[in-house]
Amino acid sequence: MRPALLALTLALVSSSSWAEVAPEIAEAQRAQMEKLRAEVAGQIQLQAYDLLDELVYGWTRQPVFELETPVVLADVTVPVGFGSGLAALIENHFAELVVKNPRTRLTLAHCPQCTAVVVHSGAKGTIVSRGVDQPEALATAGALSGARHAIFLDFEAEGSALVLRARITSLEPALPIIHAKTLTTSTSSPALLRSGDQLKSAAEARKEYLDALQGRGPVSVPVRVAVRSYAQSPTAGPIAAMPFIWLQAGAEVALTQARAWTGTFSVGVTWMPQLHTGFMGQARISRLLTGSVASLTQPDLYVFLGGSVISIHGQGARVFRSEVLNLEDVLSDIPSLLVEPHATFAAFPIGLELRVGNRIAASVFLESAPALDNAPSIGTHLNLLNILKFHTVGAEVSFAF
Amino acid sequence: METLLVFLLVQLSVSEGRPYDPAPGIWHDKSEARNLDCSRMSQQRAHELHPGEIPAPLARLANQESEALVCTRRIMRNGERPERDELILDSLRESVGEIAEVASALGPGKLTWHVDAFYPQPEVAAKISVAARTELAEQGRRVSDKVPVLAAGDIVVLGRMAPKDAYPLACKRYFAQRALGENDAFLGIMLIDERETQLHAGLCLNGEWRWLR
Repeated sequence: MRPALLALTLALVSSSSWAEVAPEIAEAQRAQMEKLRAEVAGQIQLQAYDLLDELVYGWTRQPVFELETPVVLADVTVPVGFGSGLAALIENHFAELVVKNPRTRLTLAHCPQCTAVVVHSGAKGTIVSRGVDQPEALATAGALSGARHAIFLDFEAEGSALVLRARITSLEPALPIIHAKTLTTSTSSPALLRSGDQLKSAAEARKEYLDALQGRGPVSVPVRVAVRSYAQSPTAGPIAAMPFIWLQAGAEVALTQARAWTGTFSVGVTWMPQLHTGFMGQARISRLLTGSVASLTQPDLYVFLGGSVISIHGQGARVFRSEVLNLEDVLSDIPSLLVEPHATFAAFPIGLELRVGNRIAASVFLESAPALDNAPSIGTHLNLLNILKFHTVGAEVSFAF
Repeated sequence: METLLVFLLVQLSVSEGRPYDPAPGIWHDKSEARNLDCSRMSQQRAHELHPGEIPAPLARLANQESEALVCTRRIMRNGERPERDELILDSLRESVGEIAEVASALGPGKLTWHVDAFYPQPEVAAKISVAARTELAEQGRRVSDKVPVLAAGDIVVLGRMAPKDAYPLACKRYFAQRALGENDAFLGIMLIDERETQLHAGLCLNGEWRWLR
């Protein structure tokens, strides 16, 4: 069936239209490839920095040279498929690390001829090569700036790991390698940005990472300021519930180590002079949407679902009641007006919460209160097939301690 | 409404604790899954490597060995590099490590090692030779960055020969032209057929060529 469909499709598309579309497709593919490449380069840049940090940290602990030694950064090669932009970033970061860490006993020397193509004619013939491959020619030309050693940094993407191969070569005719080191992201610590002038070992970086994870603690105390706005019923006339401002506090427990699930119990209070006083108890469960682990550095988006019991006392509670007083009711039963009205009902919020650093959060939610279906003053903001009615929209700002 | 809420709660509880599953399905297609490097390990080891994502094994289940499948996205996705290059580079550490180990065993003593790679793409050839030099140097061998060269006439003749004959002859010529001495060892890593994806290697010692793989 599929070959037949393909043949039919090909028959319908003329060769001229292919000729017109193909260059556009190729252009789009190239653009897509460039975009993808830039995205990947952004990811591996941090991994490359991490490997360089580890390399230079190793040199501060066990310097290659006993005395301060000028060296030439002869070559930086990036994974096959990447351009010179990534090489430039790596070169700059390496230079920054060496300058900020004099304990490496390395001094970077300027030697543009080392990486340039050099032509040297001698008794054995004419040789065309990079400067660092002909140290005797560079020495004759006096181009080594006093440096007698060259550093080579080679990065390659091998599967899911980035591998750094670093070597230092003595710039003498035999070009002996005097130091070599291979580092890979698959065996190093988890990626962690370390400041260039305060390098850490992989073990220290790992401990810092663990401390950061554990420091978040399983229990925190959120304090929330929330605004709830109830929908006005189209048949309610002039009577409408004003927005309720709530102050809530409670305890939040991370149900998993990655904080992918959290549970919260809180109590709240609302008060408006001469109108109402209200209390609330709420439990909610939140699920992380952005990834499987709460981020230490990026905002996290959670979806939450909860259940609340709300009790409102005072004149403001009249809008939640099932009967609306009219003039006849008022005149016929004046004593009942002297009794303070109250309303207690259950509500079920569902919403989205954006958290930053697990310290501050903002959320929006919809709340369904089935008991308010009978309240003539309250309408619905969203009615899903008459099955699920949301009477409230709300917003919160939270601070966690 | 209550029914719907109960349904939602059940769905949430069913998915609770279920880790991110990279297997092909509704959310991931097969091409996405093929870009993952996955390895199976014990939960304890996985917790050590990824402490924020994988919890420590429960003490009450200490007698039961639980496993974790750790998947990491490949840096270069399939199709971004030529397939042969990708296969060679993907296993560069392992293949070069094996070659260097065998070569080291066959060339003991205080030799100076020279390494060169023969591969259609120069940038990949450079990666292979750098990996081999670094590997040998890390094993404590005396390694040189210098690559022995032959005269242009030799290269023209060798270029017309089959690889199985060309490399042994090149080894003889290195020695005859004093590009390599008695204390030098030359490790050559190459593709013999451009269609294959496995690296071959040979060792040149005192003008004698020996295939390693």
